[in-house]
Amino acid sequence: MSDATSALVADLAPGQEKTAQARVAGAMRGFAQEIGALSAFRLESCIHCGICADACHFYIATEDPQYTPIWKVEPFKQAYKREASPFAPLYRLLGLKREVTADELVKWQHLLFDSCNMCGRCSLICPMGIDVAALIEQARHAMFDAGLAPKELYQKAAHQRATGQPEPSAEPYREQLLAIGKRFGVEIPLDKPEAAVMLCVPRTDIEHYPSAVAALARVMQHLGASCTFRSDALVAENYGYYAGGKSWQRDISMRLIEQALALKAKTLLVPECGHAYTALRWEAADLYGKPLPFEVRHVTEFLADELVAGRLKLARAATGKTTFHDPCQLVRKGGVNDAPRALMHAMGIELDELKNHGGFSFCCGGGGGVLDIERAAPLRYRTMENKLREIDDTGAGTFLTSCSDCRRTFDDAKSHFSWDKTPHSLLELVASQLSGTGSAP
Amino acid sequence: MSAEHDGLTVGEMLLKHGISRRGFIQYCTAVASAMALPPWMGPAMAEQLRASPRPSVIYLSFQECTGCLESLTRSFAPTIEDLIFNTISLDYNDTLMAAAGEAAESARTTAMMGSFGKYVLVVDGSIPTGAGGAYCAAGGRSAVETLREAAKGAAAIVCVGTCAAFGGIPFADPNPTSAWPVSAIVQDKPIINVSGCPPIPEVMTGTLLQFFGTGQVPDLDEHRRPKAFFGNTIHDRCYRRPFYDQGKFAKSFDDEGARNGWCLFELGCKGPTTYNACATVKWNGGVSFPIQSGHGCIGCSEPGFWDKGSFYSALSAPAWGKAGEVAPRQVLELVGGAAVVGAALGAASAGVSRVRQRQLEQHNDEKGG
Amino acid sequence: MDLLAFARGPALEAALVIFCVGVAWRIAGFALLRLRRDLNKPRTPIGKWITGGLMTVGSRSWPHPEFIPRTGAGEALGYSYHIGLFIVVGLFGPHIAFLGSLFGISWPGLPSGLITVISVLTLTLFLAVLFRRLTHPVLRMLSNFDDYFSWFVTALVLVTGLAATAHIGAPYQTLLAVHILSVDLLLVWFPCGKLMHAFYLVPSRAINGAHLARKGAIS
Repeated sequence: MSDATSALVADLAPGQEKTAQARVAGAMRGFAQEIGALSAFRLESCIHCGICADACHFYIATEDPQYTPIWKVEPFKQAYKREASPFAPLYRLLGLKREVTADELVKWQHLLFDSCNMCGRCSLICPMGIDVAALIEQARHAMFDAGLAPKELYQKAAHQRATGQPEPSAEPYREQLLAIGKRFGVEIPLDKPEAAVMLCVPRTDIEHYPSAVAALARVMQHLGASCTFRSDALVAENYGYYAGGKSWQRDISMRLIEQALALKAKTLLVPECGHAYTALRWEAADLYGKPLPFEVRHVTEFLADELVAGRLKLARAATGKTTFHDPCQLVRKGGVNDAPRALMHAMGIELDELKNHGGFSFCCGGGGGVLDIERAAPLRYRTMENKLREIDDTGAGTFLTSCSDCRRTFDDAKSHFSWDKTPHSLLELVASQLSGTGSAP
Repeated sequence: MSAEHDGLTVGEMLLKHGISRRGFIQYCTAVASAMALPPWMGPAMAEQLRASPRPSVIYLSFQECTGCLESLTRSFAPTIEDLIFNTISLDYNDTLMAAAGEAAESARTTAMMGSFGKYVLVVDGSIPTGAGGAYCAAGGRSAVETLREAAKGAAAIVCVGTCAAFGGIPFADPNPTSAWPVSAIVQDKPIINVSGCPPIPEVMTGTLLQFFGTGQVPDLDEHRRPKAFFGNTIHDRCYRRPFYDQGKFAKSFDDEGARNGWCLFELGCKGPTTYNACATVKWNGGVSFPIQSGHGCIGCSEPGFWDKGSFYSALSAPAWGKAGEVAPRQVLELVGGAAVVGAALGAASAGVSRVRQRQLEQHNDEKGG
Repeated sequence: MDLLAFARGPALEAALVIFCVGVAWRIAGFALLRLRRDLNKPRTPIGKWITGGLMTVGSRSWPHPEFIPRTGAGEALGYSYHIGLFIVVGLFGPHIAFLGSLFGISWPGLPSGLITVISVLTLTLFLAVLFRRLTHPVLRMLSNFDDYFSWFVTALVLVTGLAATAHIGAPYQTLLAVHILSVDLLLVWFPCGKLMHAFYLVPSRAINGAHLARKGAIS
């Protein structure tokens, strides 16, 4: 094993030790579970045109060809061809495709985790219509089974699966939640036996943006909605999703699902978090094994509906020149295109849009767990330069977004680059502009 | 034509028929220019011929339809062909000669012995070897025997018509008489193939005249045809070529395109792969040729042209199967059948893949990849 | 049997059979793998998935404006030679006669001189595309035997076709036979490599478009 790969292996968490043989076996196990007609078709369709590179901000920022999105899944493409493709028996017989090696897998950790935000922009550009981001997600599953998820993601996923929190905290989140309520003077509905809407929060908000937690509670209170938090399932994020541990992702989602079922909730409300929406709205039912008996809605969707129904009225917000960052998982991958803008429009905000906005928005740089991977920080900052420039180019003074991890990523960049802008939460803005008395549903 | 050697030179013979030296030079010059020979060769050929005794020609006909001979003798300018018959001494031709039976055969053997090593053997028709050669016999001797014997004393053999040159109609599948071209029977003499079914009269006479006039075998292509007449394809000289280039094709006989004289490629014209002089020298004294009359070239001067698919299917059509012709329905059956086989193989490989997947899913870490 | 008769006859027949068997095998071989149902509630009705899928088949041929500055030139190069190939293959008289006679249909074509011009342009683009693949860092890294051999096999058909039309290098029969043999080679190689994208393109874009439309996302 080369020095570089040794360093990567040394950077793994305890619990991720495996022999080289075991890593390959694990990867093949994970790969075999993922391959089906659809993923096979995607792998078959690649014509090596390299156009996906032009959508990926890691490639754009560095012009390093290894960040070409489809190249990130290269070992799995080879494995597919060797093991499960239509001519696989011939390939094996004639030795035309070699087996994937542990060394390769270790090298690919950087490509699949450090340099991919799972943002889905590559899936929009591919002329063959390949959903490259979906392939990367599947490849992460195999990497996890090979014991090669980056240690930060692995450890947080393990902890969240066991306790409900990605990391231990001095005070459990439950207590912190109640403390936020007291501090901001807002009621925190907690552990009600039944409610129409089940709430949860990004733990990023609990730890860094408590005002956003308060804003959520305030807005729900204003609407008079029947809702509650549940102590056993407070956290919206899913580190199993980031780490690629599919069964852990399932366990973490099941926490929320079980509580929602117990509540007989009609709606599971996803707070300002991007990947939580992907995990719950577009993946949870498959992991659960049957359709969910409740709706999954992002808070912006929910509030936009309330706006249309006339139950939510908002006052004009004097934000000056304003721009908005569309979280990838919510807008491009999630399909929630209009709700955030409907809310902003209702507050009289005319956006100075980013050059790449809406479904074409560049990822903040922290998505896909990259924010949590320490060694990835230098690369992440390089990719962020373009995004920050885009924001500056709008001339906007106010910068809004609707995902707490995006917010955290921009705040981190703010200190790194001494950037002059601060990311603000759309939900918090809405909570500050509530007008009228609202009405009970 | 005469069967006697009267000792006259060609020039003396011509004068007897009222053809002056000047007239003969003009004729030879015309032939030379038609064959793209240098201008000085016309008078040179004329002089050589005039000064020579009339060369002996033995004309043997085997498994043939006599079309080649008919073409040779069919002329709109009798003086020219007559000229040929007065330039050479056609010592044997079983169709044209007056004699028959034993008398005719003895005339042949006398001529052969008298000009041994110098006479030109002209052959038309293919040579059957089946049934011991019995399919074509005259005077109790098979064509194979007769040809071999006649070839012994020949200075050169001119194979007139596609049958003699390449086997022609009798050679076509299934070739029931085991017919062969002359070149398959005789390998030790210079052979000139003047192919065509039949060949153009001027091509036959021009080739003979050049041979006699220069004493040398002309430049031949890989099929031993004189390049002077067989050096270009019909397509290269066809007057309808501009329509081919413009993509204007007649789709059926007597449709509007056909009536406008458009290219006959889609109606099966084999012009692009056929080498002959039809497009330039034409037929019936330069009046017309098949394409000009609205029918595609059938490729009659090419080897095996009877087995190269229908005369009416385009050169670009698929050409496997019996008689080299494939109907769309057969193609669909082939394609459909192959697809079914392929799908079955695919289903099998998908099954193998699924099994392999299950195996890999169950691999625990110790087993390895 | 001479080379031309072989090329148009048994060689073409065998090549067609191998082509059909191979293509069907390749498609069935992965289409019959596990298919998982998506149990997550769709955002849109099924009609929207269908229209979304169909729209995407067309729309992916033209990159979104956000992508054009970076990717426009390369994509234009790629599409251009494809257009050239389609025109040459589909609108040249003898080709129409060939394809049409396989299936008993016909359609009008372009003047042959124009086709020659387009063929030369296409060949130039082909060379440009190879140059790009050899020099662009992303493409050089991605490219394997399949990429180069597929290029070669297609270029060979183009070059031999031009040589046959121009009667350069050998007697016409030989040139035509070599051209048809090169097509036979293309047919045999087709199911083995990336040329299969001809069959994959429409369903792949349609599936992606339908999937995105199901989520209410842009595509």
